[in-house]
Amino acid sequence: MAEERTVDGRGLMPPEPMELTLTALDSLPDGEELLLLLYVEPHPLYGILKKNGYTYRSQTRPDGTVEIYMRKA
Amino acid sequence: MQPGLSFEQAPPISVPFRFFLTAPAFGMAAGLLLLWQGPAALASRWTGVALALTHLIAVGFMLQAMCGALLQMLPVAAGANIWQPQRVTHLTHAGLTVGTLLLLAGFLSEQALFFRIAVPFMAVSLGAFAVIVMVALFRTPAKGPTILALRIAVFGLIVTISLGATLASGFGWQLALPLTELTHVHAAWGLGGWSLLLVAGVAYLVVPMFQLTPPYPMWLTRSFSVTLFFLLAAWSITWLPLQRPEGLQVALACAAALLAVVFAVVTLRLQAQRRRKVTEPTLLFWRLAMVCLVLAAAGVMLQQLKPGEGEDYAGTPFLLGVLLMAGVFMPVISGMLYKIMPFLNWLHLQKIGKPGLLVPNMRQMIPEPRMMMQLKLHLAALVLLLGAVPLPLLVYPGGLALIVSCAWLEWNVVEAARNYARFKEELAEKLAAEQSA
Repeated sequence: MAEERTVDGRGLMPPEPMELTLTALDSLPDGEELLLLLYVEPHPLYGILKKNGYTYRSQTRPDGTVEIYMRKA
Repeated sequence: MQPGLSFEQAPPISVPFRFFLTAPAFGMAAGLLLLWQGPAALASRWTGVALALTHLIAVGFMLQAMCGALLQMLPVAAGANIWQPQRVTHLTHAGLTVGTLLLLAGFLSEQALFFRIAVPFMAVSLGAFAVIVMVALFRTPAKGPTILALRIAVFGLIVTISLGATLASGFGWQLALPLTELTHVHAAWGLGGWSLLLVAGVAYLVVPMFQLTPPYPMWLTRSFSVTLFFLLAAWSITWLPLQRPEGLQVALACAAALLAVVFAVVTLRLQAQRRRKVTEPTLLFWRLAMVCLVLAAAGVMLQQLKPGEGEDYAGTPFLLGVLLMAGVFMPVISGMLYKIMPFLNWLHLQKIGKPGLLVPNMRQMIPEPRMMMQLKLHLAALVLLLGAVPLPLLVYPGGLALIVSCAWLEWNVVEAARNYARFKEELAEKLAAEQSA
């Protein structure tokens, strides 16, 4: 089973979550997924993902946490 | 970090910065006007001086900063792209800056000519801004309570601009209009339908993000903007020249005020539950604003429920005006500028950098003690101006404190802009050195 890769950005001050996510994406092996947890939809990150050939999907938990799953396209 | 990813096209940093650099100047101008006019500025809300003061803050300071923030925030926070951002920026900035000066000249000189120029000029520039932003808000694929609140807020801005243009036409061409009724509705949409809803929409995003609080409860984010909109709309209809249902009008105004209290109390509670108990300037600015919002809403309810007692007293509108503008919106704007500008600096510097080249931290953009000092100065201005209602001579130190606070804000904003230029140059030098090595 693939190692779970998660960035929990909920307790972090921006732009820390984005910095951690970009670093984690840099070493993300093909076919694996990175999960980012935030309380908001990270639109600037979505733009970066699209431009750099990543796909993503997001869903909101009942407590308001947004889960963003990212992988190389 | 710096994994070498390319960033999406955000508008150039000069787009929002010119608004942020201009806004404090109008705050200083309002302070100067208070010093010049002294206690006469408080005589009545209907004098030219009072109207000039109101518009220096509401349009010159508030709307100026709000438009700048919105132009930058839409692509970054809502994924909404503005059509022709550079042109829209020039037009809006000119409309706000020259427009405020025209209104100021018109109210102080009572010359119709200024209003005759202001009406088409401001209606076209600000109207175009509102429509373009609205289109962007409807075209974005993003959903959620912020987008909904912003759409309603921009609609509120369109109502405010339309009523303002109607009122100014009344002054410019001596039209027989129900000026009192129109002014009440114009002010309510400007402060409630536009400003408060914009603050709410932005709060849903930035309070959890920058103050590390839990998210706003869904029952609030789902209902607040829509309910406030319908209350305002229904309240506005009661001002139509029919037999006025006063009981209904009072009930609707109180319900809207109560709703504002709910928003403020929820925000204060969330802030008390924040994950990191760091007390920093933006948090304190927001807290001050939310406390003032509760006080202002209580004032509105008291004024509605006990008419007659305070109705003829010119101090009541001044008190409410100071609480709302200097107590709620100016602090929120200052607090937000201290987050937005460092964040934009960081975001734009990221785009210049490359792997291995570290971009300065957000905290290096404006020194925190200087932000704290502005908070104290602003608090002093607020307390003195509120005190000027019972003790009119306090308007002098109050006006002076407002000038110093806004000058301090200007200094901080300039510092952020200068630091951007400095760091950009440093990054370019490092890049050039690496390439030549």
